[in-house]
Formats: sequence, structure tokens, C-alpha cells
Amino acid sequence: MDLSILKEYSFIVVAAGTVLLAMACGVIGTISILKGQSLIGDAVGHASLPGIILAFMISGQKNSIILMLGAIIAGIIAFLLIQIISDISKIEADTAMAIVLSAMFGLGMVLKSYIQGNAGYQRASQSGLASYIFGQAAYILKDDVTIIFIVSIIAIVLFILFYKEIKVYVFDEAYAGTIGIKKRLVSMLIMIMTMLLIAAGLKMVGAILISSMLINPAVTGLQWSKRYERVLIIATLSGGVSAFAGTFISSAFKGFSTGPSITLVMSAIALLSVLFSPRGIIAMRFWRRKMASEGSMVKR
Amino acid sequence: MKKDINRIKTITDLNNKNEEYKKSGSQNMSEDFSQENQAALSKQPIVHVEDFTMAYTDKPVIWDIDLDIYENSITAIIGPNGAGKSTLIKGILRLLKPVSGRVLIMGKPYKEVYKNIAYIPQSGSVNWNFPTTVLDVVMMGRYTHLGLFKRPGKKEKELAFKALEKMKMVDFSDRQISELSGGQRQRVFLARAIAQDALIYFMDEPLQGVDIKTESIIVETMREFKKEGKTIIVVHHDLSTLEDYFDHVVIINKQLVAAGRTEDVFTKENLDVAYGE
Repeated sequence: MDLSILKEYSFIVVAAGTVLLAMACGVIGTISILKGQSLIGDAVGHASLPGIILAFMISGQKNSIILMLGAIIAGIIAFLLIQIISDISKIEADTAMAIVLSAMFGLGMVLKSYIQGNAGYQRASQSGLASYIFGQAAYILKDDVTIIFIVSIIAIVLFILFYKEIKVYVFDEAYAGTIGIKKRLVSMLIMIMTMLLIAAGLKMVGAILISSMLINPAVTGLQWSKRYERVLIIATLSGGVSAFAGTFISSAFKGFSTGPSITLVMSAIALLSVLFSPRGIIAMRFWRRKMASEGSMVKR
Repeated sequence: MKKDINRIKTITDLNNKNEEYKKSGSQNMSEDFSQENQAALSKQPIVHVEDFTMAYTDKPVIWDIDLDIYENSITAIIGPNGAGKSTLIKGILRLLKPVSGRVLIMGKPYKEVYKNIAYIPQSGSVNWNFPTTVLDVVMMGRYTHLGLFKRPGKKEKELAFKALEKMKMVDFSDRQISELSGGQRQRVFLARAIAQDALIYFMDEPLQGVDIKTESIIVETMREFKKEGKTIIVVHHDLSTLEDYFDHVVIINKQLVAAGRTEDVFTKENLDVAYGE
């Protein structure tokens, strides 16, 4: 293993981006998990692909901001579609998410193969568009990191400012409505934060795996504490550490994409937490057995 | 001693609020507040519901209800399953949008008076796995007085502890909410409502499935609220305790069957109409 990578400028730039993004995602991800909507990040992530390709087709550029805008617009369309389908029909929200997710991702793939080798879209090189599917830190520019930096800061600041409101909304939506909290505004705020983070992170982590950034650190945090503040801190830390480790792995070993590497580290930490945390599977087993044996001793 | 002063302060506060509301509400109140006027005051509708219709799908759940709930009453809303009791409360509190009709609370639309209203939801409607403690939930009762961007501080903590004391839940203040029993959960909700220090309390089946101790604590609290001049509106299902606990009753079954003082309205005829024999 070559540790000199750690000192390379390009690595530092990329790592700063992934770490900050993962920390912000860790915070925002707790909301969707506690709201029982873990799939929403997945749906919006997948759905952003056609937005990126279309933005490229229309603009003829691979400018990060333009592509990000495309991703955000597609994300909003996906979100609205999910709402409309589950409101109007008898289809449940999670099924609606699955429909929209697959349909839009399918559209993205079709568009991508359509422009491949199509003479009309050769103005700019298409290489690098594929990185939006799996994520590739090698293509990350300083501008991308700046975007991630700004978006992450916005998300975290919004979360801190509206912490009280978000907390009541997630815990007890009906009560929130009665104490003057505008439910629509809070849910929109959450949606905006989620979408911004997803759109900013696509190029690094990819449309398929971006949702793991929202889910795994949050799951880890929820395993280790029953206080929301601590959950947030643990989620932030575990997100940051995994992102750093994943970025290092993908930089140090050839052929490792950044998104999958980070996802693997995050998932491993989440899985270990589910197993070994104080309320994890193993601890529960142990207590149950202890209780059972004490119970039978009392009987004797 | 300090407690007494606090209580007197609350009562004067309440009276001041009452006066404000009377001034803005009706014009024909006399200037002096004698005993009689106080009695007349209690006959004033504090919640006024007009032509109220609500629906989830194409079938109405609540149909054209006109209703007055009186100030300083302990009012039960009863009716068979699916009669629309909870829906009515949610409609009054604007948690659900009515198809038609209007509601005035203290003579004003809900938006203008929500700070005076505390709502105790059904305990099933909450995410009990949310990582938070009993004290934290009770402090949420103060959020409505805090305003945007402000964090709860020492004063909020004190008020929350006082509310927990009343509910005999101080020992549980540090407990994770998922570790509570049904009755304890209900008491946490009530503590949150007490901390909110409202004038009108809406409770959705607070006595559903709770232990005897909790039931007596909740009923005791309702009576205390009444003494303090507050109004309590409760969705209730147990007809056997109705006369003991409530001085006013609203009987509904999609439509309004009857509303008024318990002794006048809680009759076999009305119940037959509502519960269909």
C-alpha cells in the first residue's frame, strides 16, 4: 500500500469532498430513516440520471453545475411523481418509489446509449458521464469539491437552524401541526436538503449508491445511542471516517470506483453496529438468555 | 409558597387572556365582573363549529355538523367506531382539511389562537422509536412559545420538570421513550400538554388502554385544568365513566346527534340514535 497518496493534492481535494458530503448525508439521512422513508434517497438518486444525460444533451457541456441542475430537476420530478402516484391511486408510497426509480433510471440508461456514438452529440466528449452511475473520484475537479462544500454547509446550517421544528415533525407530525409548525414547509426543507446533497454527490458516488451515504451512517448512529443529538454526532463521524477510508482505497488500488468503496466501508460499519452495539443483535441475545436462565433458577 | 405565587400568576394570566378574548369576541359584556358574569362567561362557546363536513375519500366522515363547545367545560366527544370523533378534532385543529364549513376558537380562526391550544394525539400516531428522552418530549411543549431558531433553555427545563412532577414521571425523565408502557406514554403526552400551558386542551382517547393509576392521574389533571379556568375536550369511548368525568357531552355518528350538559344529553334515546340500538 502506498501511503504517499495521502499527501497528494488530488487525493486531499477528493477526500475533503467525500468526507464533508458523507458527514452532511449522515445528518440528513437520519430524518428519512426515522420517518420510515429510507428508499427516498435511492429513488431520487436513480431518478437523477436522465436529468444529467438530458442536461448534457441540451447544453452540450459537462459543466458540473449544469449537470447538477439537471439532476435536481429530475429529482424534483421524481419526487412529485411519487407523491402524485401514491395520492391519486391506491398504490403505496414505497411501490410508487420503486416504479419511479426504475422507470427514470431506465430512461437515463436509454438516453445514455442513444447519445453514445451519435454524431449529433459529439460536440463534447461523453467520457465521464458514465461516472455518474457508479461514481469516479478520478474525474473530480476542484469545482466539484467547491459545490459539495457549499451544498453540505447549506444542508447542515439549515438543519441546525430548523432543528427544533424538524425534530418535532419527525417525532410527532400531528402535534407539530398544532403548535404552528408548517408541515409542508418542513417536509419541503427536508426534500431540498436531500436533493441538493444527492445532486452534489452523484459524480463522486454515483446514482446507484448515493443513497447508501444517506442510510448507512444514520443506521450506525441509531444503533449506538438513543439520544438524537448523539445519534447525529455518531452518524457524522462514521460517515466521515468511511468516506475517507473508501476514498483512500479507491485511490490506492487500481480499478476500485470511489462510490462502491465508500459504500462497502459504510455498510461494514453499519453491519458491525447492528451486531455489536449495546442494543444490537448479540447483546439482545445475551440478555434474553440471561433472563431466561435467571427465570428458570427462580422457578427451581 | 413559591408554587402558590406561581399559581396565582397563572390564574391572573388566564383572566387577562379571558378578558382580551371577551373584548374582541362579544360586545355586550358588562363592564364589571361579578360572580354572575363569571357564570355567564362559562356559557360562552369557546369552540364554534359551523356546517362542518369532512371526507377522506368520496364518502363523508363528518356530515354538516354545527356545534358549540363551552368555555371551562370538560366535554366528551362520544360515538361508535368510525363515527368521526378523532376526525372532528383533527378538523377543528386544522390537521385535516374540511370539505366545507368553518371553525372559530375563542371567536377567531385557528391560526390566530393556536398558541392557546394543546393537543394530545393518540399514542399510536407517534414514532416511539425516535431517539429521545421523556424530558425532551415534554420540553417540546414549550416550542410553541419559543419562536424560530430559539433553543429551549433552563426555564423550559424547569417547566418540563414541573409538568413531569404532576404526572409522577420525574423518575423517568431520563428514560428513552421506547422503554415506556402505554400508560406512561400517555402521561408523557399530558406532561407535554401541561408544559405548553394552554387554555384549551384537545385529547384524543387519552384513557384508551391505560392502567388505573394513569387514568386517575389524567382525570385528576382534567379537573385541575377546569379549576384553573381551562377548557378540556376529550374523545372518549368508555360510556360507563362518562357521567363521572365529564360535565358536557357531544354525541356524534357522522352527524351531530346531540350536544349539551351531560345530564340533559346523555340519555338512552340519544345513545340509541348514535349507536343504533
